[in-house]
Parts: sequence; structure tokens; C-alpha cells
Amino acid sequence: MKLIDLSSVKDIDVHVGSYLDELCDSLEFDYVSYATTDPVSGDVRGYANYPVEWVQHYTKQEFHCIDPTLYRSALSIAPVDWSRFDHDDKFRKVFRDASAFGITERGITVPIRGPYGECGLLSVTRDCTDDTWEKLKAHVMGNLQIAAVHMHDNVMKSGVLAKTMYRPALSQREIEILQWAAVGKSQQDIGDILSISHRTVEVHLRSGREKLGALTTSQAVGRAIGLGLIHPG
Amino acid sequence: MIIIIDALNKHKFGSVLREMHRLRARVFEGRLGWDVKVRDGMERDMYDDLNPAHVVSLDDGGHVVGCMRLLQTTGPHMLADVFSSILDGEPPLRSAQLWEATRFCVDTKRLTTGKTRNSISYVTSEVMVGAFEYAMKAGVRDAVAVIDPVMNRVLTRSGNAPYDYVGSAKPMGKVTAMAALMDCSAERVASVRAFAGIEGDVFATEEEALARFALSQKPKPVPALSGDGRIARDLEEYFSQQMLSAETPDEAQAVMRLMSAVTEQLGAVRKP
Repeated sequence: MKLIDLSSVKDIDVHVGSYLDELCDSLEFDYVSYATTDPVSGDVRGYANYPVEWVQHYTKQEFHCIDPTLYRSALSIAPVDWSRFDHDDKFRKVFRDASAFGITERGITVPIRGPYGECGLLSVTRDCTDDTWEKLKAHVMGNLQIAAVHMHDNVMKSGVLAKTMYRPALSQREIEILQWAAVGKSQQDIGDILSISHRTVEVHLRSGREKLGALTTSQAVGRAIGLGLIHPG
Repeated sequence: MIIIIDALNKHKFGSVLREMHRLRARVFEGRLGWDVKVRDGMERDMYDDLNPAHVVSLDDGGHVVGCMRLLQTTGPHMLADVFSSILDGEPPLRSAQLWEATRFCVDTKRLTTGKTRNSISYVTSEVMVGAFEYAMKAGVRDAVAVIDPVMNRVLTRSGNAPYDYVGSAKPMGKVTAMAALMDCSAERVASVRAFAGIEGDVFATEEEALARFALSQKPKPVPALSGDGRIARDLEEYFSQQMLSAETPDEAQAVMRLMSAVTEQLGAVRKP
């Protein structure tokens, strides 16, 4: 299986590199990387802002075939702290070299399972104390989940096969709520109008946003109008 | 106590998982009459092959008394597929911050009514607290749980009422099934803990969980041995010493294996 650098792929709907770089900065991590295995070809497609020498070494050594942060994390439904991995031969082989390039063993990988059984993996690392690490994790985990699904869905959508299969399937409730958002109603208002709790409004909004590959409600409204799912207010 | 078993640690918990599948068979085929596949007394389906996370509750005697299965809603999950009738033909919710909880059950035969540590209400709450805290740590904010009206009543009465439902209740075997929404939040966890009187960390380490589970697996005294009290006593003492000095789950399991092998051998010798 091949290792493909996503930043060299032209037709991706998101500026993969800059998105991940910004994420890395704003969430205070040292490095960030994303990888997904193509369910058909088995190729690993990825992007990382690691030092270029490490990326070259990693690629040359074909570490993507033995890297536990990839093949082990894909087995979990929750983000996997790298401290959870057994320190077996594969782990030592990757991380002994990593430390020579100044990459720490302190990291976490967020797995996102997609509809075709594929898995996207967003990994972040930071060289810091146990205490700082635990606090940082608790603080940013929600944002990491959002970023991971955003990355994964956009990368999947860029595939030709996926393009035809990835029509957003929004429920009536999700559409209805986006329609009220399009006419300028707040979450609280929408809850009152539809006689549902604001939490219900929120859970449907979040789901609708993700199906539309949008990060904000405004963006989701825009896309839903573009797709003819709702009227422009 | 709660242990989370997923594809990263399931090799250590084979026998715990088998007990869990037996509990699921008793509940979903037996008590609820759902159309589920049971083989060798164990209920399993294809979603168990998708590397879900299992929230498993062990009672003081080490028995599996409660469980719940968690899957991401971004990938294949039950509401998107086999439970889609609940959604009245609507597509399911999908979010990295929403997990699906299915096969939620407790052992109503072993557990009692009332509010003690061995009650239905305590274990139900403990499984929920375990699932919510695990989800919160993962950055997950809500759960959609497929439950039956009885479970729904238990939740509502235990400071854990769903804030809403998706779709509508549908007949499923002897009962109906419904999809309840619950926030994975500190407030809800506090409310459930207060109701059930759950204090401190509900999670066990892998070693603690295995040691507790081993209690439920103590071989029954072999009747043929009763005439030979001294050997049985010596052996029992030897095994409990070994169990106490076991430092890793592997060692504990090795003692378990030896114990059942010896018991079997002795039983076979005495029988004829």
C-alpha cells in the first residue's frame, strides 16, 4: 500500500494543510497529522506538519505499515492516548526513530469511522508534563472531535466514488431547524416554535452541520440553500 | 465497578465478554423476546464485529450484572440500519460528538429491587455513569440510546430522564423499542450519582476488574473431594496464595486455568 501526501492533491474541498496548521496552533499542540485508509485500494492518504526530514524518513521506512497510532487507534471508538499502546517491537521501532527526530511519545489519536467502514485518524502530539497534558486533553477533546470529522468528511468527499455516495441525507427535523435558522431564529426561539428542548435543537443542528460538512450554522444554512434543501428565508 | 472493554483490550477479557453475551441472551431473547441471534447461550450480532466499546458492570461477587454497547454515529450503527423503523424512515443523526448506545441491560434475576449496591437501580445508574464519563472524556456531548419502556421508566425515575426522543416507539418482540436522547454532561452525571448514591471513581483498572471477575469463576467444590478434606483445603490455600501474589492479568488468568484444570482432573479421578 502507498502513502499519499494529501497536500499534493488538487481537488480537495478544504485547504488541508492550512486547516491543520491553524488547528495545531489554536489548540496548542506541537504537531498534527491526519491519515485515512482507502477502503478499496488500502492506500494510506495523509497529511502531517511534522519536520520534513521525519516525514521523509517515515515514508522511506514505510512506518505507516506498522505505526500503532494508525492501525491500533482505528480499533477504538474513543480517542486513544498513545500511552495506551503496548511497547512492542513495532511501537519501539517507530518511536525510537521518532525521538531521534525530536518527536515525543506523548500524543493522542481521534478515530472517526465513516459510512463505508473506512476510518479517519487525526493525531496530535505535544512534549509536556503529565499534568499539562491531562489538562490540555480535557480542554480540547470536543474541538478535536469536530476537527477530525471535518477533515475526514472533506477528504472522503474529494474522492470521485465518494462524491456520488455522499449526498447529505438530512432528516425532516434537521431541515426544519435549518429553515428556522435561515429566517434568523435563535436556538432558543426554534425550540419554542417547535415545542422541543433547546438541547434537541442543538443535537439536530450539530448533526445537520456535520452532514453538510459545515463548521458553523451559517455555513450549514448556506450549503443547505445551495443544495435546495431549504428556502433562503 | 465498571470496565470499558474495546478492541484494544478485549484479548484480556475474553471470559468477561462471554458472560456479557450470556447476559444479553437472557435479557434480549429471554425476557424481552427480541428477534436476536443466540448461539451457545450467547447473543451476538454483526455490530459486535465492528469493534464497539462495551461498558460492563461487575458486582461485588465479580458477576457481569450490566452492560451497554457504544458505537460512533459517523459510521455504521444500529439506528442507521436495523432500528431504522424507529426513525419513521428518516435518516439518522450523525455526529462525531454523538454516540449510539445499544444492548443496554442489567441482570434483573441476580439483582434486587430497592437501592442497595446490588439493586437494579444502582447497576443501571452505574452503567450510565460509566458510559457518560467515558463519552465526556472522549469529547462526546450526547448519546442516543435504544431502550424499552421499562428501561425508560427506570431512567426517568433515577434522575436520568432522556431530554427527548427521536422517531417514535416501535414494537420489537414482546415490548417496544425507542431511541432516547441524553446529554453526556457533568449535570446529568451528578444527578444520577446523587440518586443512586454512587460515590468516587466507578472505573476499575484492568487488573482490578480481572481480579473481581475471578471471584465469580471460583470452581464449585467437587463433591467427590469432600471425603478428602485435607487435599482440598491445601489446594484451596495454594490457589488463593497464587491468586493474591499474581501481579499481572496474565498471571491471574494462568492461576485460573490451573485451578480449573486441577479441579477437572480430580473430579475425573474420583468419579468412577
